[in-house]
Amino acid sequence: MADLISTPLIVTLILGVVGLAIPIIDAFKKERGSNNRLYSGIAFGALIITIGFVIFRVLSGEVMPAVLFSKGVLTDDLFGSFFAIALLIVSIMVTASSWNYMKGRINPAAYYSLILLSSIGMVLIAYSTDLVMLLVAWELMSIPTYALAAFSKRDPISNEAAIKYFMFGALSSAILVFAIGLVYGITGTTNIGSSIQAMASLQKGLVPVGLLAIGLFIAGFGFKMGLVPFHMWLPDAYEGAPTTIGALLAAGTKKAGFAAALRVIVLGMFALNVDWTVTLAIVAVFTMTLGNLGALIQKSVPRILAYSSIAQAGYILIGIALAPYSNQALTGSLFHILNHAVMKSAGFIAAAAVAATLASYSLEKYRGLGRRMPITAIAFSISLLALAGVPPLNGFWSKLVLFGAAINSGSVVAWGPYLAIAGVLNSALSLGYYAWIIRKMYMEEGPDMSKVKEPRAMVAVLVFAMVFMVGFGVWHAPILQFASKAVPHLSNIVPTGSNHLSNIVPSSKTLHDF
Amino acid sequence: MTELIYYVLLSVVLVAIGIYGLVVKRNAVRMLFALEIIANAANLNLIAFSRNLSNAQGQVFALFSIAIAAAEVAVGLGIIIIAYRLYKEIDVEEFKSMRG
Repeated sequence: MADLISTPLIVTLILGVVGLAIPIIDAFKKERGSNNRLYSGIAFGALIITIGFVIFRVLSGEVMPAVLFSKGVLTDDLFGSFFAIALLIVSIMVTASSWNYMKGRINPAAYYSLILLSSIGMVLIAYSTDLVMLLVAWELMSIPTYALAAFSKRDPISNEAAIKYFMFGALSSAILVFAIGLVYGITGTTNIGSSIQAMASLQKGLVPVGLLAIGLFIAGFGFKMGLVPFHMWLPDAYEGAPTTIGALLAAGTKKAGFAAALRVIVLGMFALNVDWTVTLAIVAVFTMTLGNLGALIQKSVPRILAYSSIAQAGYILIGIALAPYSNQALTGSLFHILNHAVMKSAGFIAAAAVAATLASYSLEKYRGLGRRMPITAIAFSISLLALAGVPPLNGFWSKLVLFGAAINSGSVVAWGPYLAIAGVLNSALSLGYYAWIIRKMYMEEGPDMSKVKEPRAMVAVLVFAMVFMVGFGVWHAPILQFASKAVPHLSNIVPTGSNHLSNIVPSSKTLHDF
Repeated sequence: MTELIYYVLLSVVLVAIGIYGLVVKRNAVRMLFALEIIANAANLNLIAFSRNLSNAQGQVFALFSIAIAAAEVAVGLGIIIIAYRLYKEIDVEEFKSMRG
């Protein structure tokens, strides 16, 4: 029976209608191109209503716990809602700060419309339970961001970024279609729940095909997540795209990639009974180390943030690699995903605020920023410290949960604690360049120390981010609890060695068929 | 089953051609064609499996995938046209202003 009041459906309706209405309103307007504030306000309102609805559904307890696999294409579960909240926060921050960033730029209507459409895609990825839906949502997320990356039409850098991003993005979706084709070929269904069940009882001869499919899935999602062999496009794309869109890419689409990976890869690996965790652990270590080393030598702030987001993907991957051994690891991953979404978008928006007022991305321009733009500088410092994992901030707690899980898993897998060591060492390494930026802002004096007016909407967004980072750093229990409720409970599934899947994974009853 | 293997082999060959084109060619439009070849190889796979399983889901999926690929190419061509206006050139070797 179709249930019309389900979260993904309402989210699609609200954002879709508003997203399509904005260009139509623009077409009927007399003076074109000067309505940035109006469209920003409309988009912001729509996103606030949407996130309010998602949170209301979670609080009222109508959302099903943990991961559900339904017969339909979408499910209404806590896992999806967790990602929906994280991703909508990013969209809201980006939309609100675009109020200032888009001032005087052309085509604001298309810009906000594309952000809203891309948000629908991100949210639907987290809710989808069918590979068809997953692919459609994936493309709905990606295609608007290609256009957004190229949004500054006269700027060659933006165009270059968009071409690189487009080529790798299109390649990754082609790889995904191929992987889905293989899964369909060996299991005869595109429903994630049923295909996992079918994978668990696969004929011996077909197991290599299943492995190939999982490998292709890792490659396809890995391009978006910025895992190390697939990361080369990422710094260029994040640096060249308009900086607010950099926030959307680094904090939004990347996290949506993790949502898709958690839905498909982790459970798929269980079904195939292969020990891929070591591979993922090695990828995690390489990802964080190369990301941090790359960031050390950069001169442009968005580029440093891009490399740091590669490193953060490595930390999140620790949790995924250890998923079979402890629930805590996945909780840590989800917690870090939400935290990273806020920290990274705060970082990019601070860079956007500097770019909007001082017209420069170069680190040299950040000298003396503590006196020139006090609020931006303090928010930027806090977000950098949170990214590094300095104690009272939220980034510390999620890293603590992640590394704690890695150490606890030492009793099951010998290499578990090494992941924690690698993570801690990398955090120390990353503090090298984070502290360098903070030093530039507060300790050094630039040639021009005059105070400049800070863009108001961006300041509001940054203050919100500061409150989030400090507030949930001091009082982290609610998010941690939410994250631990939202994780797919994998440890119930017996670790490698036997097929006890059928009693856990798709056992839950059908939720929505629409 | 015996026929299936030919289709799968053809699709693997197409993927190889596509990857080759993407790696070797430096003209943006040629790279776009290479991407299309890879996407269509995946579609061929889906349709072959669907035929073999006598289950329509794969063909439906291929239709979705074709429609999405069309939208993707439209955006890609748009970006390449802007690049042509900026550089009077669509050779990706030219697009190297960002490094490191």
